[in-house]
Amino acid sequence: MNKLVAWIDQRFPLTQFVKQELTEYPTPRNLSYLWNFGSLAALVLVLQVITGIFLAMHYKADAKLAFDSVEHIMRDVNYGWLIRYMHSTGASAFFIVIYIHMARTLYYGSFRKPRELMWWSGQGLLILLMATAFMGYLLPWGQMSYWGAQVITNLFRATPFIGDQVVIWLRGDFSVGDATLTRFFALHYLFPFIIIAAVGFHMVALHYVKSSNPSGINLQAKDNIPFHPYYTIKDFFGFGVFLIIYFVFVFYSPNTFIEADNYIPADPLQTPAHIVPEWYFLPFYAILRAIPDLFGGVVAMALSIIIFAVLPYLDRSKIPGGARYRPFYRLLFVVFSIDVVVLSYVGAKPPEGGLILVGQIATFMYFALFTALPAISIYEEKWLRRRGLPPEVEELITAEENQRDIREGKTQS
Amino acid sequence: MNMTLRIRLVILLLSLVSVSTNASASADVELRDIYLEVNAQNLREGFYTYNNLCRLCHNLKYIKYSNLSDVGLSKHEIDVLRGTNGVSDTLAASMPPSVANQAFGKVPPDLSLMAKARKNGTHYIYTLLTSYYEKSEAVYDNHLFQGIRMPDIFEYSVTENPKDKELIDKRVQQVALFLEWAADPKRDERKSMGVFVIAYLMVLTLLLFFLKRRIWANLQ
Amino acid sequence: MLKKEKSDVKNPTRRDFLTTATGAVAGAGLVGACWPFIQSMNPTMDVLSKATTEVDLGVIKPGESKTVEWQGKPVFILHRTDKQIDEMRASNGGKDPIEDEKRVDVPNWLVVVGLCTHLGCVPSRKEEGWLCPCHGSVYDNSGRILKGPAPTNLERPPYQFLSESKILIGNNKV
Repeated sequence: MNKLVAWIDQRFPLTQFVKQELTEYPTPRNLSYLWNFGSLAALVLVLQVITGIFLAMHYKADAKLAFDSVEHIMRDVNYGWLIRYMHSTGASAFFIVIYIHMARTLYYGSFRKPRELMWWSGQGLLILLMATAFMGYLLPWGQMSYWGAQVITNLFRATPFIGDQVVIWLRGDFSVGDATLTRFFALHYLFPFIIIAAVGFHMVALHYVKSSNPSGINLQAKDNIPFHPYYTIKDFFGFGVFLIIYFVFVFYSPNTFIEADNYIPADPLQTPAHIVPEWYFLPFYAILRAIPDLFGGVVAMALSIIIFAVLPYLDRSKIPGGARYRPFYRLLFVVFSIDVVVLSYVGAKPPEGGLILVGQIATFMYFALFTALPAISIYEEKWLRRRGLPPEVEELITAEENQRDIREGKTQS
Repeated sequence: MNMTLRIRLVILLLSLVSVSTNASASADVELRDIYLEVNAQNLREGFYTYNNLCRLCHNLKYIKYSNLSDVGLSKHEIDVLRGTNGVSDTLAASMPPSVANQAFGKVPPDLSLMAKARKNGTHYIYTLLTSYYEKSEAVYDNHLFQGIRMPDIFEYSVTENPKDKELIDKRVQQVALFLEWAADPKRDERKSMGVFVIAYLMVLTLLLFFLKRRIWANLQ
Repeated sequence: MLKKEKSDVKNPTRRDFLTTATGAVAGAGLVGACWPFIQSMNPTMDVLSKATTEVDLGVIKPGESKTVEWQGKPVFILHRTDKQIDEMRASNGGKDPIEDEKRVDVPNWLVVVGLCTHLGCVPSRKEEGWLCPCHGSVYDNSGRILKGPAPTNLERPPYQFLSESKILIGNNKV
C-alpha cells in the first residue's frame, strides 16, 4: 500500500493534495453549525445524481410515455418508489440547504472581500440549480409540470424583437410538447455535471481564500484547526441529522413537495385553476407578477437574482463581517428575510385583491433594501464610531488593517 | 371538451383551494373525515364495491389483476374475477370508453391516481360520493362538485332510512380507502421500511455525535 | 491549545471503540444503501408477471409447429404426428444422446426453447427438424442436436398442461 502511494506520489501529488486540502487544511475553529450547509449541499448533489441515474434507467422521455413511466417506476420497479421519492424530496432539500447556506453568507457578510468570486460562483450555481430543477419538474409530465414549463418558457417572449421565435426555439414546438420534454431530459441529465464542475471552481476559490467565520475577519494562524478530524466529524454529524429529517419526509410524507395536480397527466387543452411554481421559486414568481407588464416583470425577476452579484460593492462599511457587530445591517437582514417570506406567500396565492398590492410593496422593498445598503452601511459605520466601537471590534479592524498593510508592503517591495 | 363543464371544473378547482372570491357555494363544503381504519377487510370490501359499481365506468389502468392479492384476494378469487383476462391485464371499465363518452359527453376519468390527484384525495372521494342532493324534482347535483355528470350511484341522496344511509357511508369509505391503496400501493412497504432506516440513522447520528464531542473535547 | 491531561490528546484520531463502532455502523449503512439501487436494475414486477405464457394448443395442427414468446425468448411447440414420434423413438439423437421419451411430457407435443445452444440464433423449421441459419447446427424433431457446432440439445422450458389443449410455460408463481 505504502509502495503504491509512493509510486503515485512520484507522478501525482496525492499525499500532498490530501494533506493540504483535507487533513491539514486550516479551518477557523469558531465555525457554527451554519457552516455545515456547504458540505450538506454536496451530499444532496451526490444523492440527486445517484438517484437520478437510476431513475433514468426506467424513465421514458416521450410525451406519450413519460407519465406512465413514472407510475411504472412507482409501482413496478423494485424500490422505484423509494428512488423516485428520494429524488423529488431531494430537489426541495437541495433548495432548503442552499437557501440556508446563502442566508448564512448574507448574515455573516461572507460574500465580502476577498470572497467575491466564491459569492459569484455560488450565484452561478444557484442559477444552474434552478434551471436543473425547472427542467426536471417537467419530466413527470403532469398538469403542473406541463403548465409550469408552458408559463416559464413564455417568459422568454420578453426577449426584445425575437421573443416569439426564441420561445418556439426553446420548446422546439409551438407549445410545450414532446420535443420540449426530450430536450429538457437531455439537459436535466447534463446540467448536474456542469454543476459539479462549478462546485470544483467554488472549492478551489474557497481553499485559496479559506473559510469565513462568525467574527467576520480572517483569523490568525493560531485560531485555525486542521479540517480533519474536527470538521470531517462535524460534517458527518450534520449529514446524520440532515438524513434523518430527509428520510422522515421520504418515507412518511413524500407528497408534501408534489402538487396534487401533478398526478393528473398533462393536458394541453386545460390549465389547472391555480398554477403555482415549486415553493423554491415563489419569491421570484411573486416579483414577476408584481409588475403588470411582461417585459418589466421578467426584467424585475431576473434582476432579483442578479442583483446579489453587486452586494460586495453595495456594502460600503469598513466594520468587518456581517450582522454580528452591525445593528443596522442586522435589521436589514431581518427585514429582507421577512420580505422574502411575504413574497413567497404572495407567490403561492392567486393574484387577487389586496394581495396584488402586498406583492408590489414587497417587491419594492426587496429592491429598496439593496439600493439603500450603500448609504445605510456608510451611515452605520459613522454611527458606530461615534458611539465608540466595542474594543474587540476595534481590535478586529486594526488586525484587518495590519494585514492589509503587510500585504501592500509586500507588493511594494 | 364541453365549455360549461370546463367552467364548472375551473370553479370547482378554485373552490378547492378556497381562495377564490367568486366560487360557488361548494366552496363551503368541508371534506369529511374517514373513521374506518385501513385494514385488509375494508380494502377487500372496498375493492368489491369498486368492482360492482364504480368499475361500470371507471378504469384502474395502473392496477393489474395480480396486484389484487395486496388487498387480500386469493389466487382463486382473482382467477374468477379475471375470467379470460391475463393476470397482468389491468382493470378496465365494463363500459367501453366510446359508449361512456356518448352517455356522459366525456370519458369517465381513470381512478388509479384519484386519491393523489386531489388535495386530501381519500377524504375528497368520500365527501364527493356523499354530497349528492336532490336539487329540484328528480334533478340531482353534488355539493362538492356542482354540475357533476356522474349519477349518484350509491343512491345516497334518495336513501331515507338512517341505517341504510349508514351502510352506504361505510361502503363509500371502503371505496375511498381502496382507491387510496390503488394510488399508493407501496404505502405499507414504505412505512415499515422507514422505521428501520430512520432508527438506523438515529443510532449512527448518535454515535457521530459522541465521536464529535470527544474529538472536539481535545480543543480548549 | 490542546489539553495536556487527556490521554488521546496527541492523536485525536486514535482508533478506539467509539471510532471503530461508528465506522462499522456507517460502513454497514453504505453497503445497505446499495441494495435498493442494485435491486432496481433487476426485472420489474410487470416483467416478472409476464414470466409465464399460456398457449392454446388447439390451433396447432398435427405436423405443424408454432413459435410463441416466453420471457422474451421464442419457444417452439411442435405437434408431432405418430410417424414423427416413431421416427424419434427409433434414435437417441446425436452428440447429446437422450431418449425421446425424456424430451416430452406428452408424446404429441414437443416444447423447446427456440434458441440454438451454440450462440443463441433462432433455428428455422425444416420437415425433419430445425436448422440454425447462423452456423448450420441441425436438430431433429425431438430438438436433439444431430450435427453442427451446437454442444447440446434445444433446452426444455418448464411447462405444465393446464388442460388437454392448454399449456402454461414457465413456473407459475402468481
